[in-house]
Amino acid sequence: METKTLKQLLKLIALILVLSYTIDKVVFFSLNTISDNVMSGQAIGKLNQFLKVKDTTNLLVFGNSRANHHIVVDKLNPNAYNMGINGIGIAYNSTLINTLNPKKKQTVIVHIDTKNFFNDAYDGSDIRGLKTKYNRIDKITSALNESGKISSLQNIFYTMNYNGSAVGILKNFIKPKYNHLSYNGYDPLVVSKSKTEVRDYMLKNDIAEKCTDNHKVNPTALAYLEKIESFTEESKNNKTFIFVTSPIHNDACAVDNKILADILNKKNLTFWDFTNLYKTNNDDTSLWKDKTHMSNLGAEKFTTHLLKKHQAYTSSLK
Amino acid sequence: MLFNSIEYLIFLPVVFIIYWLLKSNYKNQNILLLISSYVSYGWWDYRFLSLIVFSSFLDYYVGQKIESAHGDKNKKRWLLVSLCSNLGLLGVFKYYNFFAESFANTMSSVGWEVNALTLNIILPVGISFYTFQTLSYSIDIYRKEIKASKDIVGFFTFVSLFPQLVAGPIERASNLMPQIEGERKLNATLIKTGVFQIFIGLFRKVAIADNLGVYVDSVYGNYEIHNGSTLLVATVFYAFQIYFDFSGYSDIAIGSAKMFGFNFNRNFNLPYFSKTLTEFWRRWHMSLSFWLRDYLYISLGGNRKGIAITYRNLLLTMLLGGLWHGSSWNFVIWGGIHGLFLSLEKYTFSALKIKTFNAFGYLYTFIVVIVAWIFFRAPDFESAATIVSTIFSFDFGSLFLGDINKFVNAVLLLTIGVAIDLRLFKSKVSLEEFGVRFSTIRLTIIVSIIILLLCLFYSTTENFIYFQF
Repeated sequence: METKTLKQLLKLIALILVLSYTIDKVVFFSLNTISDNVMSGQAIGKLNQFLKVKDTTNLLVFGNSRANHHIVVDKLNPNAYNMGINGIGIAYNSTLINTLNPKKKQTVIVHIDTKNFFNDAYDGSDIRGLKTKYNRIDKITSALNESGKISSLQNIFYTMNYNGSAVGILKNFIKPKYNHLSYNGYDPLVVSKSKTEVRDYMLKNDIAEKCTDNHKVNPTALAYLEKIESFTEESKNNKTFIFVTSPIHNDACAVDNKILADILNKKNLTFWDFTNLYKTNNDDTSLWKDKTHMSNLGAEKFTTHLLKKHQAYTSSLK
Repeated sequence: MLFNSIEYLIFLPVVFIIYWLLKSNYKNQNILLLISSYVSYGWWDYRFLSLIVFSSFLDYYVGQKIESAHGDKNKKRWLLVSLCSNLGLLGVFKYYNFFAESFANTMSSVGWEVNALTLNIILPVGISFYTFQTLSYSIDIYRKEIKASKDIVGFFTFVSLFPQLVAGPIERASNLMPQIEGERKLNATLIKTGVFQIFIGLFRKVAIADNLGVYVDSVYGNYEIHNGSTLLVATVFYAFQIYFDFSGYSDIAIGSAKMFGFNFNRNFNLPYFSKTLTEFWRRWHMSLSFWLRDYLYISLGGNRKGIAITYRNLLLTMLLGGLWHGSSWNFVIWGGIHGLFLSLEKYTFSALKIKTFNAFGYLYTFIVVIVAWIFFRAPDFESAATIVSTIFSFDFGSLFLGDINKFVNAVLLLTIGVAIDLRLFKSKVSLEEFGVRFSTIRLTIIVSIIILLLCLFYSTTENFIYFQF
């Protein structure tokens, strides 16, 4: 390589490094400023709202889309927040639970899905959903570092924290999806008339999966469960933790539910398994949106049931 | 080693620095390239390196034998050794299970149950690409178009050169061997065009293709519950996903090669800006389509043996081209659709005495291509047929968006990708040469913006679609 070419190459590399680093920081800090003011949308608004209300609410619900769509938190407590989010698992929930103030009196409902818990492939990568708070909130930063789910490049290019969410943030900044002041985190699934046919077809063809022989608990999920367990110890005088599995349309395998119940019982964690609550009532498709999600009608009915159980449980504690 | 991995981000500069430190001796550079290529390939599965070594050794030896053989008969005999060995390897590793399964199914349909014949065989990455590359070398020597290489390290490097080993472009010896067997130089033009192409390729693959793939996978994974409009949008997305995935891979390969002083042939030339299917195939996966034209279509007689034979040759070439992509009847059908429409085009052009279509041809070509892509993407014939019939029932309901953020990201990135292609199309300058237009400052700004877009929109898909072929 000629000396002239080498100089050109070094100049180009140096300029790219400096400029890309500078642009990255400018955009990152701009997105920080914008995102801190976003209170709507699943990408960041819901997380921001949670961080704002987490230590002032009486009841919190954690979990995935089934928690989000199944638990009408208003029915349980007028000052409650449902932090259920689509596609996330116990890694995400455990990290958020550990950000709670242990001294605040609260009821915490953790929605757990047995199927996810016994899934070999689960690796806790849902924790990446918290990356917008990486290097901004200590407990989230240390959980992300510990998880190994953060790219080493993320310490150079900070905008990677906003990977996949920048457009959603801008959209919700310019035009909020809803008024967060009247939002409690519960999102009802209303089945429109035109969708009922597809829904009924799916439910009619819902063949229950056979039980497999593999009922080994996923070690990653177990590790995150243990982190929740540690927090329950830390906050035991102030917080009531209830682990819940909400109904599924047609679950044929009771073995995994039993194993999970045993694990939680051994840890002295309260577990209510409602998986088969409406199984005998399978003809009433109006309760469902699909095989694993209940409609708004199903959610109302289920939450009423949950409320009764919760009231009975609270009375028994007194 | 994947181009979009951290490993490659470290591997490429390390090899680059050592390579140019060895600039006084190109043979030492070749040794480095050979070792690096084997390391890069072995990163995936070192056991299959033996296949590459075998294939390289075979064609190195056979190439010399073809050249030194007396008489056409003896030359042909040596060529057959290369053809049978290379195609035999490909047949065992790629097609054995497919034909065994098809045979068992056929027998079963006539009431004769055959015991399981399939074997537990892993498909070695890149076998279709390097097999075609070594085959063309031997055929070119037989055709007296090139001389056999006497430089064993150089030849082994030609077969395994890491930027193009696992998914092409399928380089011809006539283009690459002279570059390998001579001194390479790096200049400002190669640096600018190479860097620009690497980053455009990364953007095409990691940002555009992978984001489109999220929606495509969610729809094609549950195709039976989606309406015509959703399946149509998913299929259009797939058309762009596979284009940006593979052209992005090729861009990184060609750009990386430039950093080592090599000029690879183009592999894509804005294929969706084609007015005919014939033109599409001059722009899509050019290294494969020209390979099929030169070594299969022309060997079958091309268009020199009458109209009926020409159509037969076209259809056969495309059917085999489809089968090259994978051992599934869907790929054969995909090739068959292209072969059929290429034949129809040829007939139309000759009947109407025209050379191409008007602007309407863009739409016609795109429609044929996306219908064929359904067979390429769908897991089996039944699902492909269901998707085609749902789309063509024209019963379009409301569009399924899935995760709205992901959908919006995909549309935004697709728009940027198409805008870049439109700019290239209007400028009539190829992407391979486009980078030379920029000053260092302008190139820096463009690359920095691409890095920002990659940070904001990269997707974590772990493979390139064409690695499975």
